[in-house]
Amino acid sequence: MKSTLDRRTFVKLTASASGALIAGVYLQSCGSEMVPATIHEFSPLIKIDTDGWVTLIAKNPEIGQGIKTALPMIMAEELGADWDKVKVVQGDFDEAYEEQWAGGSYAIVLNWDLMRTAAAKVRHVLLQAASKKMSKKVSELSTIKGKVLHSKSGEALPFETLLLEASKLPLPETVEFKPTDSFEIVGKNTPQVDLGQLVNGETKFSIDVKLPGMVYATVLKNPVFEGGVGEYDDTEARMVNGVIDIVELDNTAYGGRLLGPNSPNFVNGIAVLANSTWSAFKGAGKLDVVWDTSGSRKENTDGIFERFNLQLTSTAIERKDGDIHRARKTEASNFEAVYQVPFLAHIPMEPMNCTVDFRADLCEVWAPTQNPKALQEGLIKLFGLKPEQIKIHLPRVGGAFGRRYYVDYAMDTAILSKKIGKPVKLTWTREEDIQHDWYRPASIQKMVASLDESGMVTGWQHILANASRKTCLGREGRPAGTEIDEYEFPAGFVPDLQFEYGHVMSDVPLGQWRAVGLSATVFAIHSFLSELAILNKMDPIDYFLKFLGPARMVPVVGDDEFDAGRLIEVVQKVRHNSNWDIPLPKGKGRGFAATKLSGSFVAEVVTVSVDENENVTILRVDAVVDCGIVVNLSGAKAQVEGGILEGLSAALYGEVTVKNGAAEQSNFHDYRWIRMDEAPEIHVEFIANNLPPRGLGEPPLPPAAPALANAIFAASGKRIRKLPILSTK
Amino acid sequence: MPSYTLTINATKRTVSADSDTPLLWILRDNLGLTGTKYGCGKGICGTCTVHYNGNAVRSCALPITSVLEGNIVTIEGLSEKENHSVQQAWMELDVPQCGYCQSGQIMAAVDLLSKNENPTDKDINAAMQGMLCRCGTYSRIRKAIHLAANKRNK
Ligand code: FES
Ligand code: FES
Repeated sequence: MKSTLDRRTFVKLTASASGALIAGVYLQSCGSEMVPATIHEFSPLIKIDTDGWVTLIAKNPEIGQGIKTALPMIMAEELGADWDKVKVVQGDFDEAYEEQWAGGSYAIVLNWDLMRTAAAKVRHVLLQAASKKMSKKVSELSTIKGKVLHSKSGEALPFETLLLEASKLPLPETVEFKPTDSFEIVGKNTPQVDLGQLVNGETKFSIDVKLPGMVYATVLKNPVFEGGVGEYDDTEARMVNGVIDIVELDNTAYGGRLLGPNSPNFVNGIAVLANSTWSAFKGAGKLDVVWDTSGSRKENTDGIFERFNLQLTSTAIERKDGDIHRARKTEASNFEAVYQVPFLAHIPMEPMNCTVDFRADLCEVWAPTQNPKALQEGLIKLFGLKPEQIKIHLPRVGGAFGRRYYVDYAMDTAILSKKIGKPVKLTWTREEDIQHDWYRPASIQKMVASLDESGMVTGWQHILANASRKTCLGREGRPAGTEIDEYEFPAGFVPDLQFEYGHVMSDVPLGQWRAVGLSATVFAIHSFLSELAILNKMDPIDYFLKFLGPARMVPVVGDDEFDAGRLIEVVQKVRHNSNWDIPLPKGKGRGFAATKLSGSFVAEVVTVSVDENENVTILRVDAVVDCGIVVNLSGAKAQVEGGILEGLSAALYGEVTVKNGAAEQSNFHDYRWIRMDEAPEIHVEFIANNLPPRGLGEPPLPPAAPALANAIFAASGKRIRKLPILSTK
Repeated sequence: MPSYTLTINATKRTVSADSDTPLLWILRDNLGLTGTKYGCGKGICGTCTVHYNGNAVRSCALPITSVLEGNIVTIEGLSEKENHSVQQAWMELDVPQCGYCQSGQIMAAVDLLSKNENPTDKDINAAMQGMLCRCGTYSRIRKAIHLAANKRNK
């Protein structure tokens, strides 16, 4: 065969070789004889072999969100494959794959059509080939469980008998999708593809990579944001057994902030290279450094919040509907409240690490990243490499939550590998991770509502002041971003409405954290709405439903519309599921909140008890989610459970405080997170519909904090306006 | 560097390392047993949990010299072909999210079930309280421990 087949080439492999190729996923039973299997590559994502196995490339970074299972499920569905004869292989970074990143809950949204199109094209040529072989009309054929079926006659041909014919046919330009009501794979409770290796320890995360001749490294960075390296004595560090070299990582020497305003920069520091991770850690501990802090504002948390507070009165208007001042004068009453949220760290369980083998011809990278494209761009900018000189592997990632959108740790690794001419695995300690994060921005939010005779809102003002993640390190000369968007809820629902943003400069590095801006704004919005309900002696869910009004499409910005009916439905369902209307004994209470994010609608009720000593126990959480079609029920539920627990954890404990320009927290003892004994049962229900699937990683998170705060109020009468609830500061 | 002999997953392994090297790094860097993970290095998170003489221990907090006498079992040595009842239960309930904490969780759960055939939720809370899961798989872990207990008691 020649390679004239439009990216489809025939690759000959022995069964054992193909078995080995995908050994991480499935083991093919190859019997005693080694029968050569021929693999037909129909597209960069889809291969079928003559044993009837379909190999699907999982192209997006798997960070624990289940995408390595979900995207192949979509392809398998559209192809009509037999899921039990599908092998899933993680793809490396490759421009040909498109949309190869993890963030903003976009992976399913952006890839739904991409995956279906790729698979429908292959289905098309299989049907054509079968039509010829069976002498049946294409319109009478369909694919199911790895076969082309002529349902009238019951005649069926397995894919493997059609490969030679099908691979000679050109893939069509346009395709028709399978009707969603005929789905066999999508929507099922499907265990993830790597389960066996996840429970027997075989899965190789990036931190587990080992290359021949590899050197281990760690970094010690100036704990003070914007600080420099200063003076250091490495005599003792060099005396540690196994230490090979000590290298200064100077931000400015390597071009400073690398990728534009919302991008990683290098924090100055000192790298220790050694023949084991432990020696590197030990060496770093022996460095004697006098850090240069002359470039730092030497901020403290109190001072930062004070500046946020002052900025509440000096803002830019981000959205203005009607006139809030008119409402303020004419309505029966006005009510205001101020809410505060802290900086948060990401603390993914796998600490920052990366392995780079920087050779003359190729820079080869193994990175736990959500954003391989940014990594490639960084390497291009930093070293003047061409894209074809860079190879990025995407091992499974031990959690990300937005932290690994930034590629600072990978850049450090590349610099070290290039410098010493050997493969380097860099591992940060947990302390470095917590002290050099891209934190969720802290903020102060002031809410003002004007209420008519019936207590309903006619005027709504939401003012947010903080240092924005969009200015990255918040140095002068950078455009101030906004942390409150014009499409924020309840835009479109209230006639007189105004959003304002006050920006403060800060050294604290800021970034995306799961649910991004809504992780802060929904806390203020839904705490406030419940406060308004209680002020008017109304049930918070009744009040919210009245606030939403009838089911309708509400214009928000441009042609962006808010489907109030879908939100109402999840609210009503969660009311029912949580037994909202059945009163609880004294000391117990329920709280409610809801949101729309990334096209999905979520409503949550948290039930708590609060004892005389103000100890809070979360008893149960109910969530109802409308994210359109659910691709993998098991994975989708996991995302909802995880998102809610993250929201609750952060609300209870999450807090990074700053003292003299450095983060005060350094490990899990002072950056607390929810544990088994505090984790409630979470009941999740999905609305069944046939609408295109929407994001799920983030939407469940934002309502958790206000629902918890509202529940604590219901149980104890204590109103929480400042997070975290159990602050130790 | 001195050399030491350890019994890991029923096999004698000899390594040369500094005497203060934690077992965690011996497993990971010297022996390639990377199923045991580094999470905090301070005994707070439990991702590095292995068994020493049948008890769950934090390998990041144990210098090599403290584990020379007994038997060490890591996730790789828990079973052939992940057929331990706890691993089976974990798979049935699709417990892992990112998966990074799960070796430690499984080793802790096996330890619990070896001492308590039928743990209550309270027992599970007490035994697993030190095991951090950043992704929030706790409720599935709890269900999987009950399921594994049922499987064994059948
Ligand atoms: S790494 Fe040992 S307890 Fe965290
Ligand atoms: S599954 Fe990710 S930390 Fe537990």
